[in-house]
Amino acid sequence: MTGRLLRSRGVRKFRRNRLAMAALGVIALYFVTAIVLFFGGISMDATKERVAPKHMPGFFQTPDLDERLAFAMHFINEADVASRLASSRGQHPHEILQEKALAERRPVRLEIEQYDLLLDEAFTILEEELDLVENLQDHPELEPRVERMEEIAETIFPAPTGWEGGVYWLRTFLGSDAAGQSISVRAVYSIKVAFQIGLITSVVSVLIGSLLGAAAAFFGGWVDHLITWVFSTLSSIPYLVLLSVLIVVFFGTVFDDPERPFLSLVPVYVAFCSTFWIGPCRVIRGETMKIKELEYVQAATAIGFGRFYILLRHIIPNTAHLMFINFSLLFIGAIKSEVILSFLGLGVKGQASWGIMIRDAKDEVASYFFWQIGAATFLMFVLVLAFNIFTDALQDAFDPKHVD
Amino acid sequence: MWSFILRRLLYNIPVYLGILLLVMGLLRVRNPVYAYLGKNADEKQIAQLEESFGLNDPFIVQYGRFIWRGLRLDFGESWKYQGTTVREKLLASIPPSLSITVPALILTSLISITVGLFSSYYRGRWIDRLLVIAAVLGMSISFLVYIIFGQFVGAFLPKQAGWFLQPFEISGYKPWYSIDTFDLLGLTIPYPTGFSPMTWVSFCMLPVLISVIVSMGYDTRFYRAVMVEESNRDYIVTARAKGATKRKIMFVHMLKNAMIPIITRIMTTLPFLITGSILLEIFFGIPGMGRTLITAITDMDYPMIQGFTAVIAFLYILSIILTDVLYALVDPRVRLS
Repeated sequence: MTGRLLRSRGVRKFRRNRLAMAALGVIALYFVTAIVLFFGGISMDATKERVAPKHMPGFFQTPDLDERLAFAMHFINEADVASRLASSRGQHPHEILQEKALAERRPVRLEIEQYDLLLDEAFTILEEELDLVENLQDHPELEPRVERMEEIAETIFPAPTGWEGGVYWLRTFLGSDAAGQSISVRAVYSIKVAFQIGLITSVVSVLIGSLLGAAAAFFGGWVDHLITWVFSTLSSIPYLVLLSVLIVVFFGTVFDDPERPFLSLVPVYVAFCSTFWIGPCRVIRGETMKIKELEYVQAATAIGFGRFYILLRHIIPNTAHLMFINFSLLFIGAIKSEVILSFLGLGVKGQASWGIMIRDAKDEVASYFFWQIGAATFLMFVLVLAFNIFTDALQDAFDPKHVD
Repeated sequence: MWSFILRRLLYNIPVYLGILLLVMGLLRVRNPVYAYLGKNADEKQIAQLEESFGLNDPFIVQYGRFIWRGLRLDFGESWKYQGTTVREKLLASIPPSLSITVPALILTSLISITVGLFSSYYRGRWIDRLLVIAAVLGMSISFLVYIIFGQFVGAFLPKQAGWFLQPFEISGYKPWYSIDTFDLLGLTIPYPTGFSPMTWVSFCMLPVLISVIVSMGYDTRFYRAVMVEESNRDYIVTARAKGATKRKIMFVHMLKNAMIPIITRIMTTLPFLITGSILLEIFFGIPGMGRTLITAITDMDYPMIQGFTAVIAFLYILSIILTDVLYALVDPRVRLS
């Protein structure tokens, strides 16, 4: 069976299409990443961990003087708060500072006097020189002073080196969001969420849709009337309206709890599946209408096979190419709709996803911070583009007469 | 023909009743009043709202009453905005939606049909390939990203840089028309009294442009596929054989025959004219149908949700029937049975 499929004309045509094979490779890469993530490649805690001061830019953008000062001040302020608290409690500042570590960027243990010396110096520079000017950008002569501030921050919180340094670079090379969370970790983690939603909804919708579609066309009569009535009813409600109404039903239940991110995806699955099955159902109903008049179905009936047997063994397998094409179309639809639903606050809850990232990035764009929206859009763009090319090639190879 | 129209209408009545059943049923899975008032509501308030929404009656009575009142466009009063009827909200939110979706549809269709025709005329050449690639690339970016960057480039950058031209606003929507009403058989009918095109440009032009750019990818691809399909037909060969120029074949023979799928495509997008683009309305603060409905959903304002869904679904079905009828008119091959 598999061998025959691989030698079929459609598959050969598909494999000659180099662009489509490249797209398939990209999809495979994403899929493997999603599997690794699913088995704990990146834990959910890692997506919520603070790894840097807020809105740190990515690797090729040099921050300006104001931003550099702000990042240094983040560490200096942490040390300042810790040393005050420590002296009132009679502890060593390092014990308090330890909890302020940003992922691999951990504080070192200095002598208490050393903290005082460094902090005194830092605040003197700040008060006597840096705070006096409105905009550091206009005073390049102050750069050495900002550098000194960075050195002080570096002495208290040294940047990690070696293996840890590499890991830390991976976490920060795309910058950090408003809560100091790693953009790269969140964007990659979102691949898992996208595949979870995409795979579950498209597999379930295609299965339901093609079974019902084939049954409607094959049995005809009241079965056909009922199924056509159900899908014309569902498709007469605008898509976003139906989704929102379905999600209202789940509001305030166990499925609406950010603490349980896996359960909170259930409304999204239900909402998507209840509209997505209509597409494959229509297409496969039409195809089955054609197939059921063909000689081999008549022959099977003449031999005396049961109707269910013919439906499952002879008709549905011959619509497999349409199921594939629809699967791929729905996958794209699911990923894109997830982004929109999450933006409206109706979709993913309690974990990172491309939709959540784009929503968070909405206001950052106005302050010229493009890293978060850029990372989410890029990863999503590559995946959706690969799926678009893949779908086109599938259609060319297996369903060449189709228009759009 | 008339019997065909009548049959289509009759066929869609059970569909519409099904939609109402589904929506009303879904909205009553949990008690609407508790959902709206939250956990700490007092007994009296709950009883009062339940009474006004008719929740004490059996479902079938509520269903029947909703249909009967719906025939007169009476969907009750909004919970959130006391003293405002759903009908007033409905009538007020249609014009803002239309002032974006209608220009957007016209522009998108004109541009993408032209580009599709152009692309299929140069089929296989570099310009065609470039257009096809651009369409696929454009389709792979999220609508949200288009809006965010559209606002950034169209409104934020010009303001920041202090450009000479700062034509677009992204908040503080003002209507670009003034409206008066008159009474007809008990219905209040609005009619426009004056227009100000400059207000339209500042509040509606940018969303229209974004919407055109987003739909271009999908539409261009579709129209190109239609034209390519059409150019493989026998009558094109005949026209070539009798010596018609390529240009004449494109614009006279092909475009005429391609009208059927084109009309269908445009007709199927008609219901979205009324729903409006929910996302664009939210981002630009435009008080249209989509935004009002989403706000009603987040407020759990049940009479509003019910009324809006009923009207939107009705217009949706109406446009589907219209498509079928138009289809039968344009293409005599469509069987009327």
